[in-house]
Amino acid sequence: MSAVVEVQNLSKHFKNVKAVDDVTFSVEENTIYGLLGRNGAGKTTVMQLLTGQDFASSGDIRVFGESPVENARVLQNISFIKESQKYPDEFQPKHVFRSAPWFFPNWDSAFAERLIDDFRLPLNRRIKKLSRGQLSAIGVIVGLASRAPLTFFDEPYLGLDAVARQIFYDRLLEDYGEHPRTVILSTHLIDEVSNLLEHVLVIDEGRIIIDEEAEALRGSATTVVGTRAAVDAFTAPREVLHSEYLGGLASVTVGRLSPGERVEAAEAGLELSPVSLQQLVVRRTNVSQKEFEQSA
Amino acid sequence: MSTVTGIGTEPLEPAVPRAARAAGRILPVFRLQFVNRWGTFVIPWLIMAFIFVVNFAVWVIVIANLSSPEARADAQSGLQFSGASFYIFVYLAVFASQAIAFTFPFALGYSTTRRDYYLGTALAFLAMAALYAVALTVLSMLETATGGWGVGGQMFSAVYFGGPDAPWWVRLFIFFSSFVFFLFAGSTVAAVYMRWRNNGMLIFFAAAALLVLGLVALVTFTNSWPLVGEWFVANGAAGVAVWLFAPTVLSALAGYLVLSRATPKN
Repeated sequence: MSAVVEVQNLSKHFKNVKAVDDVTFSVEENTIYGLLGRNGAGKTTVMQLLTGQDFASSGDIRVFGESPVENARVLQNISFIKESQKYPDEFQPKHVFRSAPWFFPNWDSAFAERLIDDFRLPLNRRIKKLSRGQLSAIGVIVGLASRAPLTFFDEPYLGLDAVARQIFYDRLLEDYGEHPRTVILSTHLIDEVSNLLEHVLVIDEGRIIIDEEAEALRGSATTVVGTRAAVDAFTAPREVLHSEYLGGLASVTVGRLSPGERVEAAEAGLELSPVSLQQLVVRRTNVSQKEFEQSA
Repeated sequence: MSTVTGIGTEPLEPAVPRAARAAGRILPVFRLQFVNRWGTFVIPWLIMAFIFVVNFAVWVIVIANLSSPEARADAQSGLQFSGASFYIFVYLAVFASQAIAFTFPFALGYSTTRRDYYLGTALAFLAMAALYAVALTVLSMLETATGGWGVGGQMFSAVYFGGPDAPWWVRLFIFFSSFVFFLFAGSTVAAVYMRWRNNGMLIFFAAAALLVLGLVALVTFTNSWPLVGEWFVANGAAGVAVWLFAPTVLSALAGYLVLSRATPKN
């Protein structure tokens, strides 16, 4: 495996906001990454910096070994249709798909046509008159059919119905299997995509707080349920990520448990259940929020 | 075209993949500016045709109501200052600024560098200016050849374009120079907007107003208005069209510098 993206001490400051704050990470080739985080966490800014659409305040970005800023050799291998992508007002979807192959050397028009059918996208309607979901569908189709070695999807599902979202996930996996590439997917619907992701980056307040293999992350937390006394006794020596109490019952989330610890828990009459990626992200981003408030 | 998997030979640092060897995106951007021909060619010429029809009707009405040959000649000589075709120049200035405002964020979404975007767009503007200049030259030669469309009307051969006695290549040159000026003036305004948004617009137009005011004051207080008039007369329409390239080139360079640090915002 080799790194397609290498970011070191990257920061981007707007007037009063540190949108990206001293971030270091790398992205391996031919892997699907999830870039997760709350609204305003810095996801889009990171992607704009990686694609040379915005300029870093400080730090170093290498994409395919080179700086992406004004670098045609790098950018030609990138597809990044962001959630708020603007299209020329007078354009119809057909103009987008007519011009896309000029820009993306790997463009597959048969695949694009199939996706247009899948999403039932009207080709001869002005962009201004499209619904939010149809607008998102254009971005999804361009992102998939361009088959760029490094493809970004920035909240691609916005306004898409459940069926269309499922089509997106299915087509992405299918095509990824046949044409491996590096995909960075930013999303709020973490549970929906959690099976898709191979690696997870969680960004909060402009900082990367989780950078882990999705597989490792899935087992990295467990919820312990049982009577309050038994749960507290079991979880006392551990770091508690989250706790909920209801009468005499308790539900407490802790970190990874070893097989021995699992046996111990079972003997104490406790129930163990895995924590979903979404819950994990919610818990972790809440914790960092509190820490931030305390330090402020 | 090329597939991207490199099975077997895997370098430590992934080299820029093969697709990268394709040429820059200057030509794709050029084509992008013409992908929707409605706004570039159809609408402006529909409006131009309408303006022509209205003017033609006015000429016919005026001529029909003037009985003496002297009065007719007088009316027709006034037409040499017709500004009826100014619209098309303003249209192209607006068109250029809209083109930048819409296609800049779009082309960057297609992973284009700002440099390739600007060069491709500038080439598209030059091509458009050339096509429009040819079309207006043909119309103006027709106008001269038909004695003002049979009614002594003037619209494409007004004095600003060299007058009815100018040869075709002088007319072509004046039209081209004017179109290029308006296109790049419009695109520079849009570039300022892309870079600094509303505040940029306010400062830009305030500065432009002060500059014009300053020049007017300078000329007035030095009693130089006759000199200015003489300069225009001495240079003639063709000479002015040559000088027009100076602000055009300045504007094009400024547009590039401004846009080269602009970011597509939400």
